[in-house]
Formats: sequence, C-alpha cells, structure tokens
Amino acid sequence: MKPLDCKFESEVLAAVMEARWPERAEPELRAHVSSCAICAEVAAVGTALETERETLRTEAVVPDGGLVWWRAQMRARREAAKMAGRPITAAQVLALASAAGLAGACFGATSAWFQEALGRIAADVHALPVQQLLAEHGVAAAAAGAVLLLVPAAVVLAILRD
Amino acid sequence: MFRDTTYQDFSRERAIDQAAELVMDEESFRAFYDRTARGIWAYLVRVTGDRTLAEDLLQEAFYRFLRAGAAYESESHRRNSLYRIASNLAVDARRRSLVRAASVAGDEIEHVAGGQDAAATERSTDVTRALAQMKPRERAMLWLAYAEGASHREIADTLGLAPGSLKPLLFRARRKLAGLLGRRQA
Repeated sequence: MKPLDCKFESEVLAAVMEARWPERAEPELRAHVSSCAICAEVAAVGTALETERETLRTEAVVPDGGLVWWRAQMRARREAAKMAGRPITAAQVLALASAAGLAGACFGATSAWFQEALGRIAADVHALPVQQLLAEHGVAAAAAGAVLLLVPAAVVLAILRD
Repeated sequence: MFRDTTYQDFSRERAIDQAAELVMDEESFRAFYDRTARGIWAYLVRVTGDRTLAEDLLQEAFYRFLRAGAAYESESHRRNSLYRIASNLAVDARRRSLVRAASVAGDEIEHVAGGQDAAATERSTDVTRALAQMKPRERAMLWLAYAEGASHREIADTLGLAPGSLKPLLFRARRKLAGLLGRRQA
C-alpha cells in the first residue's frame, strides 16, 4: 500500500509558506523533495496556492469594516423587531379565531333555522351509502383530504422559514 | 394609559436591543475584520469561482458570525468558525445554483488577465483553470491546507468531514491538482 503522507511534508509546507522555498530552504530538505513524490507534490501545490493567495489578497476589494458592522447592526435590529412582532401576531390570530368560534357557537345555540337545517343535513348524511361512495371515490377523497392538510402546512412552513 | 403605552414601547425596544446584540463590540470586530476579510474573500473566490458572489457571501458570513452568539475561546477558534460559516454559505450558494459552474474559469480568467506582469498572470491563469476542474470540496480542502496552512483537524471541522477521512481525500485532491498544474506547465 502506498503511503499517503511523509514526515517531512510539514517542513516543506512551512518553507513554502515562509517564502523560503526553494532557494533559502535547507539543502537536505531540497534533496529529500527531489526524491519524494509526496513532498514534491506538496511543494508544487503549496507554491502555486500560496502565490495565488498573495495575488488575491492584494487584489481583494472588501467593504470597509465599519460599513459591515453598521449593516450588521441594522439587520440584527430589523430581524429582532420582526421576531418581537411575531408573538403579537400569533395572539391576534388566536383571539380572532376564538371570537369567531364563540360567535358561531352562540348562533348555533340560538337559531332555530340553523338547528333545523343541521338536523336535515345529518339525516341526509345518515342515509348516504357511505361504503359504496368510499369504494368508488375513496382515493380521490383521500387525495383531496391530503391536499387540504398539506397545503396549509406548506404555507405555514414557508412563512416560518421566511 | 399613556404611561402604560410608553412603558410597553420602552420594554419592547429593550427586548429588541437585547435580541439584536452582536457577539463583539465595534472596535474588536473591525480589528478582527481587518485581519481576516481579505483571506476569507480569497477563499470564497477560489471555492465559488465568482468574485461578486464572494463579496456577498463575505458580508453574510461576517453577519452570521456576529449573530452566532457563541463564546470564542481564542483568535483561531473565531477564525475557524468564520471559515466554517463561509464554507457552508458557499455550499448553500452552489445548491441554489447561484454559482455558474460552467463559467467558473471564464470569469476568473478575465479578472486575472488585468494587472501584473505576463508571467504572474499566466501562472495565476494556470492555477485558476486547474482549480476550476476540481470539485468545490477539493478546492476548499486544498485552499485551507496549502494557502491558509490549516491543520487536518481544522479543515475537517471547517468542512464538516470526519477527521479520519481527510488524509486520503486531501492526498487525492493534491495529486489531482499537481497533475493538472504539471500538465499545464509541460
């Protein structure tokens, strides 16, 4: 099995990164590299990437640190304000849903017309051939049910992720 | 009523201030940024192959670093965390197809062509072309190891790899790049 590393690898890389390679490196190290395939690769790749790094660092046009800091602060405040608003929105939605439920319950309990209509619907449903309907349209009904459940779940997930 | 509203506003503002807190003060951040921004930018340019995207990711990386809420033990711990965030952002960007893989070499070569002497330009173009033929993870590994001088443990941590698997991966990537560079120079 071929070795994956050499014990002189780190010395070669140090010489490259300290700009000693190859002229100012120890003669023994140079002699080793000329006979070691792994160290020769380290020297070649290290020299190429180290030179490239220096070139890129001099070319780099990065935004000013103060500007990055200021933008980060603004964004952090914006996000924090948005997060702080979320519980209020959730409480408002809950209150609205409770009020709607209460109003519906009061209406149902007091309206004779509504109770009569509800009784008729219940009788009709009772008379339906449920087993036959399920056998004929069971798959479509299950698909529709799944869509009704999944779509709101997907919307909620998308909003939360946003 | 008025006093209650004012108090609520005040406590909400205070809660927002607390939630928006960053992990460093401005002075420390600016010093850290000055020490690391160019290196991170160079890393992102080489991993994504896109300078404009690298600048966007650089700002995002520093923002996430500031918001991470982590307690950093040392400068190298901070630096490693920043490189890890930058690496994850580069992976996400690639997943979202923001990196135009086919034009990686083209974009970079255009930039390399301007400035410096002819030999340096040619050398840089060779490295750019060779790296463009490698996988993003290979590019990241090689850059961290041979341009940034990171240890195997730091590279594994930054790229989310098992430390034991790094040595063979790095060996293969290095061999591939050395082969590509050798072929270009031959």
